[in-house]
Amino acid sequence: MAMVVIFFLFPLANAVYYAFVDFNGINPQPPFVGFDNFVELAKDPNLWPALKNNVIWILIGTAAPLAIGLALALLLWAVQRGSIFYRIAFFFPYILPQVAIGVVWGWIYDPVRGWLNQALEVVGLGSLATGWLGNPNTALYAVLGTAVWATSGFVFVIFLSALRNVDTELVDASLLDGANTLQRVWHIILPQIMPVFLMVTTITLVGGFSVFDIIFIMTGGGPAGATEVLGTYAYSSAFQLNRISYGTTLALVITVMAIPFAVWLNRLQRRLSLQGMGA
Amino acid sequence: MQLSTLKVPGAAAAVLLLAAGCTGTAPSSGGDEDSADSTGSIRYLIEQQEDPGALKLLDAHIDEFEKANPGITVKLEAMPLENMRTVLQTQLRSGEGPDVFNWGSGPGYAGALAEAGLLYDLTDAYEQNDWQIYDFAKERVTFDGKTFGVPGEMETIGLFYNKTLFADLGIAAPESLADLEAVSRSLLDEGIVPIGVSDKEGWQGGHLLSMALSSEVGSDGMDELLNGGAAWDSPDVVSALRLWEDFMDAGYLPESPTALSYDGGNALFYSGEAAMLPTGSWLVPEIEDNVDFEVGYVPFPSGDGPGIFTGGLGSGPFISAGTTETEAALKFVDFLASQEHGQWTVENLGSIPPMPIDTKDLQVSPLFGQVLEDTSELSGGSGDLGYNIDVLVTDVFNEAMFDGVQAILSGQKDAEEVAQDLEAAFRK
Repeated sequence: MAMVVIFFLFPLANAVYYAFVDFNGINPQPPFVGFDNFVELAKDPNLWPALKNNVIWILIGTAAPLAIGLALALLLWAVQRGSIFYRIAFFFPYILPQVAIGVVWGWIYDPVRGWLNQALEVVGLGSLATGWLGNPNTALYAVLGTAVWATSGFVFVIFLSALRNVDTELVDASLLDGANTLQRVWHIILPQIMPVFLMVTTITLVGGFSVFDIIFIMTGGGPAGATEVLGTYAYSSAFQLNRISYGTTLALVITVMAIPFAVWLNRLQRRLSLQGMGA
Repeated sequence: MQLSTLKVPGAAAAVLLLAAGCTGTAPSSGGDEDSADSTGSIRYLIEQQEDPGALKLLDAHIDEFEKANPGITVKLEAMPLENMRTVLQTQLRSGEGPDVFNWGSGPGYAGALAEAGLLYDLTDAYEQNDWQIYDFAKERVTFDGKTFGVPGEMETIGLFYNKTLFADLGIAAPESLADLEAVSRSLLDEGIVPIGVSDKEGWQGGHLLSMALSSEVGSDGMDELLNGGAAWDSPDVVSALRLWEDFMDAGYLPESPTALSYDGGNALFYSGEAAMLPTGSWLVPEIEDNVDFEVGYVPFPSGDGPGIFTGGLGSGPFISAGTTETEAALKFVDFLASQEHGQWTVENLGSIPPMPIDTKDLQVSPLFGQVLEDTSELSGGSGDLGYNIDVLVTDVFNEAMFDGVQAILSGQKDAEEVAQDLEAAFRK
């Protein structure tokens, strides 16, 4: 209980308090402003583009690692030799500091010396070369690509562990019945690993709501807000413009949006577990 | 599946902690006078130097201060400017910040910290130590009648150009905007990037606007804009912004300036891939270390003439209001504001202190000599000097300016739209 109070209720109460005052980081007794921060938020023209970017991030940033991680896990499911190597190799990006990942991928995307553009030139696709992080049409997806690269290995390792508990006799039986690969994955394998699948979905989805670090490192939300998400917008409002209360209000909104999804996925997962499904 | 049941409240707590992380605590109101004595250990934070060797030189120079002031130790720390911009306020507020730190002058930098009550008042220290800082420079660190810091080195922003390449191609340094465009066209025909603009970090946009606008309207016009006498969506501002829009469209800039870091843009110039580099005099030492050709430095041209340099002050020392080592910090700042330290910075760091310095016996390179001469003349009032906007305006305006120039260079907005954003931000 003490842990819940310290790490959950106190931060929540603190954040709620700051959302209802106008704290600029200086005044020890900030004035009470009621719902002003929320009203301003609803009218803020910068909010919706940031929210749109969050939605894109949540959709792609959740679906892509799940798809890639599952595909890799299925590919390497039956592999015995080198299994540990593959697990370490794919998991490695996940344990790297986000700063290191952001810096290295920043070099890869560099418009002049970055190897991505150079590789495109070499294979005859030079017309696709661009300033990946400076082009408003590609910047968000370039950062997202980096995040997907860093997360897929984690998803892969979790799925691979879950696949170890899948009943292979059912898979063999479906094979004899003529089920193709997609049918086997959809009807035989996925239901058996569904609780794990939902757990991983919850983690990546909630991470999509609160994403901040990789974007902040790689683009700072730029160019001109093209990669701004609610997390970076909350940070710049609070710490660069000294609008602590407004930044806190934004962060609260992120929380309020994320919790229902997390709770729903958690309940679904628990229900499936109680029904005896899953690894 | 016990893990998964823990994950949801865990994830929710993580999001809540993000919310909680946006809150802060009020800083202490000033230095701790009770602990005032002339000994102690202080942390001195500066921005990471372009040349790593400069840090070692400064460290060695600080050793001399420590020897002359037994009992005081100074721990020198360096941090990339981008990081300082984001974490310094948080550190100072939390009481975990440095005792002395280098920071920009003007309302956008030192002014914001002074307003937040995070700076120690140095008004009395100026009188007691008789620091000989130029008046115009001192004004930039004075807010509400109190002087909070020692201004940093004097800097100008202009256009560096590859003198050797220009001579080889038979072209002269631009003396008007028409010249600059003609030169750029010639360079483009040769397959060379005319102007190595970079704007990934965003702050370079403030310099691009400052130099184009200063040259066009002069210091009087800049005063009008900065004092609110003229609007930021006036034709002059729109014209200065459109200049970069037109240059981008004409191909005079690298393909994706908003994807190009400051270091990346500089590297284009060093390698000879870009012929001109719009930046400040602080880069002179690094340019000299990295190029094997002759470099010239001119003001950014105006429509009808050679234009004027944009002037500014670099980062200088400030004392944290929350320091517990006030006396030691004051002694150290006194050392940094001394004539001897000023001469040392000219010779060793290639920077120009904001005070009268006897330079006749100093050994400097030709490029730095030119910058030194220009700056000294301008400081003496013999010519006009433009303003670097970003240190003279609020954070809100800076954000609008940085985003605005990025928006122009990445095709998201045009000059008129950005000028309207600037006007709105200025009136906030």
